[in-house]
Amino acid sequence: MIVCSKKEKINYYFFLVPAFLVFSIFIFWPLIQSLYLSFFKYNIININTPQFVGLKNYNFILHDQIFWTSIVNTVIYVLGTIPLKLLFGLLLALAVNSKFIKFKTFYRTSFYMPVICSMVAVSIVWSLLFNPGPNGIVNIILSKFKINPLGWGSDSNLSLLTVMLLGIWKEIGYVMMIYLSGLMAIPQDIYEAASLDPVSSFQKFMYLTLPLLRPTTIFLLITEMIGSFQVFTPIYVITGGGPGYSSTTIINYLYNKGFQEYSMGQACAVAYVLFAVLLLLTILQNKFSKSEEVSYD
Amino acid sequence: MKKALLYIALTVIAFFMLTPLLWMLATSFSRDSVVVSTSLIPKNFTLKNYIEAWNFPRVFSDEITLGTFFKNSIITTFFITALGLFIDSLAGYVLARKRFLGRKIFFYLALITLMIPFYVVVVPMFLIMKNLRWINTYQGLITPSIASGFGVYMFKQYFQTIPYELEEAAKMDGYSDFRIYFSIIIPLSIPAFGTMAILKSMWAWDEFFWPLIITTDIKMKTLQVALTMFRGLNVTQWGLLTAGMTMATIPIIIIYIFLQRYFVSGLTAGSLKA
Repeated sequence: MIVCSKKEKINYYFFLVPAFLVFSIFIFWPLIQSLYLSFFKYNIININTPQFVGLKNYNFILHDQIFWTSIVNTVIYVLGTIPLKLLFGLLLALAVNSKFIKFKTFYRTSFYMPVICSMVAVSIVWSLLFNPGPNGIVNIILSKFKINPLGWGSDSNLSLLTVMLLGIWKEIGYVMMIYLSGLMAIPQDIYEAASLDPVSSFQKFMYLTLPLLRPTTIFLLITEMIGSFQVFTPIYVITGGGPGYSSTTIINYLYNKGFQEYSMGQACAVAYVLFAVLLLLTILQNKFSKSEEVSYD
Repeated sequence: MKKALLYIALTVIAFFMLTPLLWMLATSFSRDSVVVSTSLIPKNFTLKNYIEAWNFPRVFSDEITLGTFFKNSIITTFFITALGLFIDSLAGYVLARKRFLGRKIFFYLALITLMIPFYVVVVPMFLIMKNLRWINTYQGLITPSIASGFGVYMFKQYFQTIPYELEEAAKMDGYSDFRIYFSIIIPLSIPAFGTMAILKSMWAWDEFFWPLIITTDIKMKTLQVALTMFRGLNVTQWGLLTAGMTMATIPIIIIYIFLQRYFVSGLTAGSLKA
């Protein structure tokens, strides 16, 4: 083992400088400044210097009907998309992983295609497919089943659903890939040992596969939840948050506050509320996942 | 019998996954008409849409075409990827192989950056850019994204698998640390660099929120942001629209198909809890 002099060791810090300079300027410092600004009234169009207003921003937001609508919409989005994503992703992973199937690469690739396409492009295509009125492709197909054209993005009852469908469609392939890697990590001898007893495939799945996939499931739950809470682009592109505020989510609200109204202080307050919510959710999830660990050795 | 059902189910689902994209492709090659076609095969094949889509934004100014936005996206993506690979791997290198004071703290700091949602820091980031007068500039588009905690983590994990003997031999030959990094570590880590290059470039290409707020001047907008301008077109111009979408999506799909094997391994490497 070569011993290094103190002088040489200083060089090591230089290797870290570029990355941590960026981290400090664009992540750590803004993290603090965001909290700081949330206590100020700062509209960069009207006001040149921020004015201290204490908790007024938080007060305003927590009494803003639109804010609460955006929270509700976000929660609906999260609860509506995650279970389906996980379920279908798992089913697809099981199917593609099964011994019977050939053309695995073809199926894997086609399921993964939506994931790699740009969200913007896909959202625009989605808004064409789900165009309200008789021209939308989906409406044309529905009409063949004698169903009247639906309003989709222009219907305040359906706008969130339209976006949720896109969210599920786009992410299933990713969930599948993660579950596939989890499945492939399960040693096959476990199943062979189980075959010594009369167990059905279903039982094998419920009592072997599923518990062994728990780490994967928890990983997916946490990351998908954090990601879904911050959904923005499909809504911005397809519905613009409307009609009314029926499809506005937290980040849409933040965007409107910070980059349409340019009320920076309020936007920072929204950001920190979001941060607190996500932190809480992550801690709760971690507690839940630590409670049971499964392995068969 | 069970096999057949499985195949049918999988094929139907694959169909649903691909149909929107295939429809987009087919419509882009179809002649526009008032009646919308649901078929996946172009009825009146034409390349006209692609030419028109390329020139479409000329309505804003004579010099701005789709090419302008492609150029902006390519420049942004390239620098984010190239600089990012360099910076992340430098940090990953010393964190993986050297002992020094604060080594663990720096590593945890890098991981912490992953836990901080982008939207929490985006407003001050924007204000910093405003004060630097970097709004509507390439620097503004690129710099926040060049270092990533994920990259540092991945490189550190990979570099730890390289045997120390090589480094010790090089040290005895008088190699400096940077030279070791450059001439020895990098060539041995092509898979890691390949994976990170793909992940970073795909992510950078698709970036939307940051370019949206940092570019108010139309000639600096990236492709993803500029695409939203196509939204207002009515049904007779869907060929134009889908041609634009296809052109925006194809580069990434091509990269993905060619470099698939790196992609799957990189994607799943971080997902299992040890």
